[in-house]
Amino acid sequence: MSQFLQATVYGLLEGGLLALVAIGFSLVWGVMNIVNLAQGAFVITGAYIAWKLNTELGLDPYLGMFVAAAALFVAGYVIQRLLINQIVNAPIWMTLLLTFGLDLLIVQGLQLLFTADFRAINTSWGTDGFAIGDVRVPYGRLAGFILAVAVTLALVWFMSRTRSGLAIRTTGMDRAAARLMGVNVRHTYALTFGLAAALAGMAGAILGSITTFSPSAAGGYTLQSFVIAVLGGLGNMWGALAGGILLGLVQAWGGQYLSGTLVNAIAFGVLVLVLIVRPAGLVGRPYYEARAEA
Amino acid sequence: MLGSRLRLWSAVVLMLAVAVVTAACGKGGDEESGGIEGDKLQIGAALSLTGSLAKEGALTKQGYQLCQQKVNDRGGVKVGDKKVKLAISYSDDKSEPDTAARLIDNFNDDGVQLILGPYGSPSTEAAAAAVERNGQVMVDSSGADDNIFTKGYKNTFAVLSPASDYVAVMVDAIMGSANPKPKTVAFLSADDGFSQTAAKGGVEAANKAGLDVIAEESFPEHTTDVSAALTKVRGDDPDLILGSVHVEEGIAIVKQSGELGVKPQGFGETVAPPTPDFSEALGDAANGVVGSTQWTAQATGQDEIFGTAQDYARDFEQRFGATAEYHSAEGAAACLALVLAVEEAGSADPEKVRTALTELDTESFFGPIKFDDTGKNVTKPMSAIQIQDGKVTTIYPKDQAQAELQWPGTGG
Amino acid sequence: MSATREEPSTTRVASRGGLNLTGRSPAWWLGAAALLLGLVVLVLAPTYLLLESEQRTLGSVFMFVVLAQGWNLIGGFAGYPSFGNVVFFGLGGYTTAVLMAKAGASFWITVPAAAAVGLGFAVLMGIPILRLKGHYFAIATLGVAEGMREVVINTGELTGGNKGITVPAVGSEATTSYPGNTGFYFYFLALAVISVVVVWAVARSRFGYALRAISQDEDAAAAAGINTTRTKIAAFAVSGVLTALAGAIYAFQQVTIYPERLFAVDITVLMVVMAVLGGAGTVLGPVIGAVSLQYLSEWLRDNFPDYHTFVFGGIIVLAVLVVPMGIVNFTRDAWRRKRIALFESVRQYRL
Repeated sequence: MSQFLQATVYGLLEGGLLALVAIGFSLVWGVMNIVNLAQGAFVITGAYIAWKLNTELGLDPYLGMFVAAAALFVAGYVIQRLLINQIVNAPIWMTLLLTFGLDLLIVQGLQLLFTADFRAINTSWGTDGFAIGDVRVPYGRLAGFILAVAVTLALVWFMSRTRSGLAIRTTGMDRAAARLMGVNVRHTYALTFGLAAALAGMAGAILGSITTFSPSAAGGYTLQSFVIAVLGGLGNMWGALAGGILLGLVQAWGGQYLSGTLVNAIAFGVLVLVLIVRPAGLVGRPYYEARAEA
Repeated sequence: MLGSRLRLWSAVVLMLAVAVVTAACGKGGDEESGGIEGDKLQIGAALSLTGSLAKEGALTKQGYQLCQQKVNDRGGVKVGDKKVKLAISYSDDKSEPDTAARLIDNFNDDGVQLILGPYGSPSTEAAAAAVERNGQVMVDSSGADDNIFTKGYKNTFAVLSPASDYVAVMVDAIMGSANPKPKTVAFLSADDGFSQTAAKGGVEAANKAGLDVIAEESFPEHTTDVSAALTKVRGDDPDLILGSVHVEEGIAIVKQSGELGVKPQGFGETVAPPTPDFSEALGDAANGVVGSTQWTAQATGQDEIFGTAQDYARDFEQRFGATAEYHSAEGAAACLALVLAVEEAGSADPEKVRTALTELDTESFFGPIKFDDTGKNVTKPMSAIQIQDGKVTTIYPKDQAQAELQWPGTGG
Repeated sequence: MSATREEPSTTRVASRGGLNLTGRSPAWWLGAAALLLGLVVLVLAPTYLLLESEQRTLGSVFMFVVLAQGWNLIGGFAGYPSFGNVVFFGLGGYTTAVLMAKAGASFWITVPAAAAVGLGFAVLMGIPILRLKGHYFAIATLGVAEGMREVVINTGELTGGNKGITVPAVGSEATTSYPGNTGFYFYFLALAVISVVVVWAVARSRFGYALRAISQDEDAAAAAGINTTRTKIAAFAVSGVLTALAGAIYAFQQVTIYPERLFAVDITVLMVVMAVLGGAGTVLGPVIGAVSLQYLSEWLRDNFPDYHTFVFGGIIVLAVLVVPMGIVNFTRDAWRRKRIALFESVRQYRL
C-alpha cells in the first residue's frame, strides 16, 4: 500500500511541475494555433540561466527563476514578433518547421556554450523532505508543485482581469474581430509567446534544482508538453494543470505496476487514445471551440 | 506550360548528374600506402562530438589528443627507418551508429585505414562491421559490450575490459572489504545492451559471493527519473544497490534515493561516479558511492609514451585543466596500442598492423594490454573507486588502493 | 489558405479517370531523353565514377528521396502533415530484421512482408487518425511513432529491445549475401525511381486530383462526390508501403539496428523538411529537397565539425522564411514572372 501512496504522491508532485512546463505551450497552441517545437529548449534555457546565476552569484533558483522568466519573455517576444509572425498564415507545417529550426539553434547553441555536461543546481535543502507515515514528500518537489498551482491561478487571473489578458483571449477567439476592435494583434501574439516562454523558463529553473539536465533533455519536455496540452484542452489553463497531474500520476502508477521501461509507452498511448476519442481534451474544453479562422 | 516543365525536368536531371560528378571529383581518392602522407601518419576517428553521447565523446577525444601530443613530442611514430608525425582526423558521428559506419567508409575512401574507435558500444559495433568489410584495422577505446566480440570480427581490438566486468569488480571490492558485509542486493539497470550485460555479470558475481539478489529492475536508458524502480525496492530494504547505468541514470539513482528515503548501506554504480559531472551534480550526496572504472591514476605499469599512470594524470591535468578520468585514458590507451603496433610492424599497412596487434603484449600506463583471439583485452583488470570527501579515490585492487573502502558508504 | 501551391499537371487530369501518358509534342520526348540520360549516368556511376563512401552517401540520398516522396503523398498532396511517418520506416526495418534473424528468412522474402506491414499498419492507423485535422493529426502521428518505438523496446524477446537486433549478414549464417555499398546504392536507387514514378502517376491521375481537392477544402471535395475517407487512407497506405520498403533495405544495410535509430524523430523531421523545402505537392520537390539537404548536411559536417547542427538549424529557419513554398514552386514562379521575389512569401503569410 505504501508503494502505491508513495507513487501517487510523487506522481502528483511531478505532474504539477510538468504542468508548468506545458502551460505556455498549451496557451500558444490554443490562442495562436502554433505548435512550438522549441518549448523544451526554452525550459532548458531557463535551467541554464538559473544554474549560471547559482554558480556565479550563489543565487537561489527560486529567485533565479524570475530572472530566467524575464530573459525568456524578451526572447519569446522577439522571436514571435520577428520570425513567427511572418508565417502565421502559411500552411501549418511551416510553423512546425520554423520552431523545429529554432529548437535546433537553441539546443545546439546551449551545447556550444555550456558543453554537454550534465548539470544540477545544488540547493541547501537538497533532497530533504518530510514524511507522512511511509510516504516521503521532498521539499523541492513540493515547492515546485505549489508554484505550479500559484502560476496557474495567476495566469487565469491575468487572462480574465487585465486588458492584455483579455486582448489575448479575444485574439484567440477571432483575430479579425479583435483587430476591428483595435487590438494590436501582432503585439498580442508576441506577448502570448513571450509569456509562454517565460513560464517555460521558470519551470526550467525549478527543474534544474530538482533533477539533472543537459541540452539533450529538451526534446523530452517538448513531447510531454504535447501530451499535457492535448489532455487538458488547448488554451485551457486549468486543463493544463489537470493534464499535467494526470500524466504524472499515470506515469507513476504505470511505472509501479508495469515494467519500468513502459513508462514512455504509456504516455504516448494516452496521447493517441485521447486524440482519437476526445480531441477536445479529457479534462477541459478548449478555450476556443469555435475559431474564426482554423 | 509544357515548355517550363520540360525545362524543370531537364534541370533536375542535370542537377542530379552534376551532383554525382561533383561528388566523384570532390573526394579525390588519394590512395597512399595505408595512410602515410608525406611525413604524417593519418589515423581516423569517428567520434560523437554532438548528440546524446557528446560528453563522453569529448572525453575520449581528449585522450586521443593527448596521445598525439605525447607521440609527436618525442619525435613521432617510427615507421621502418623514418619518423612520421601522428595526425588524427576527427569526424562527428552525432552519436548515431549508422553515421559512424558511414564515416568509416569515408575514411577508407580517403586511404585512411587505421581507425580509433567511436564512443559507446552501439557505434563501435557498427564501425567494427564496416572496418571488417573494408579491411581496415580499428582499436576500440570504449565499446565494452561483450557482444561485439562474438561476431567473428578479426580487425577490431579493444583495450578496455569487457562490460561483464563492470559490476562484478564492485561486488568483489565491496565484499572483500566491507564490514558489516551486505547480505542483500538490488540491481537497477538501464535497458541498453551494455548495461544489461554488465548487470548480468554482476548478478553472477553476487551469487558467487553469497549475496542474496532480491530485485532486478530496469528502466529506459537516458532517463532522469528512476523513482518507480526505487519505490519498488524500498520496501525490501536492500543492503546494497548496484546500478548498471550511464551518467544521467547514475545521478538520478542517488538523488532520488535521497528523496524517497531509500537508505542502503551503500551504492555502487558503473560509468557515472568517476566522472566530474557526478560529484558536481550531487554535491555531498556523492560521498561514499562506489564506482567501477577502467583505470585509475594508481594503475601499475608504464610505457615509453606516457610513462606511469601518475605521469599520464599529471600531463592530462596540465593540458586540459581537469582531473584525468578513465574515458580519456581509454582513448589514450587505444591510440597507444595502435602506435606501438605500427612501430612493431614497421609499416602502416593494415594487414601488418593487424598482425602486430594480435602479438602485442605490453604493459602501459593503462595496465597490461594483450588481446585474445576475439580481440578483447583479457589481461587488464578493472578497478573500483569510491567518492571520499568529494574526491574520486581508488579502493580496489587492494595493492593499488589509495584508501580503504568506507562502509557503510552513504551513511545509511 | 494553401492556394499558393501550384501544380502544372493540374491541367492534365484525364477526363476518363486514367493516367495520362501520351505526350503532346516533340518537346516531351526531349524531356524524357534527358531523364533517361540522367538515369544511365546514375546507373553507371558506381562502376566508373564513384568511391565506396560516395556510393554509400548517394544510397542515403536515394533513401531520403523515397521517404520524402512517401511523406509528399500524405502531407503534400493530401495536406495531412504526418509527423510520424518514421513509424513505417521502423516497422519495415524491424520486420526485415526479425524475419531474417529469428526465422532465417532470405532478405527477398522480407521485402513483401515489410510492404505488407507498412500497408496494414497505415490502414489500421489511418482509420481513426485521419479523422483528425491539422496539428491534431500531426501530433497523433507523432504519438503513434513514439509509442511504437516504445513497444519495440519493450518486446525485447522478439526485437532485442534497446540491445539491438542483428541481421545475419556474414559467414555461414547469412541467409542472403551482403550486397555491399554498391548493391545498396542500386537497391535504394531502384526504390527511389519507383517512388518518383508512383508520385508522378498519382499527380496526373484522378486519385491525385482528389487528394488535392481534399487538401484545399475537404468538405467541398466530399460534396463533389469524393470518398474522402477512402482516398486519404489510400494515400496513407501508399506512403506507408514506400516508407516501409526503405526501412527494410536500411535494416539490412545497417546489420545491427536499434529502436532509437529506426524510429528517430529526426528522420521524420528531415523527410518533412526535404519535401517541404523542395516543394510539397510537386513531383520533383522531394527529390530536390532530399539531394540538396543531404549534401548540405555532409558539407556542413566537413566544414564545421563542431557546430554543423547549429548552422543547419539556422538554415532551416532562413529557408522557411524565404522559400516556404518550396524550391520548385519558387523557381517556377520566378521563371514565369521573370523576377525573383525573395520575401514574397512573407508578404503573403505574415500576420
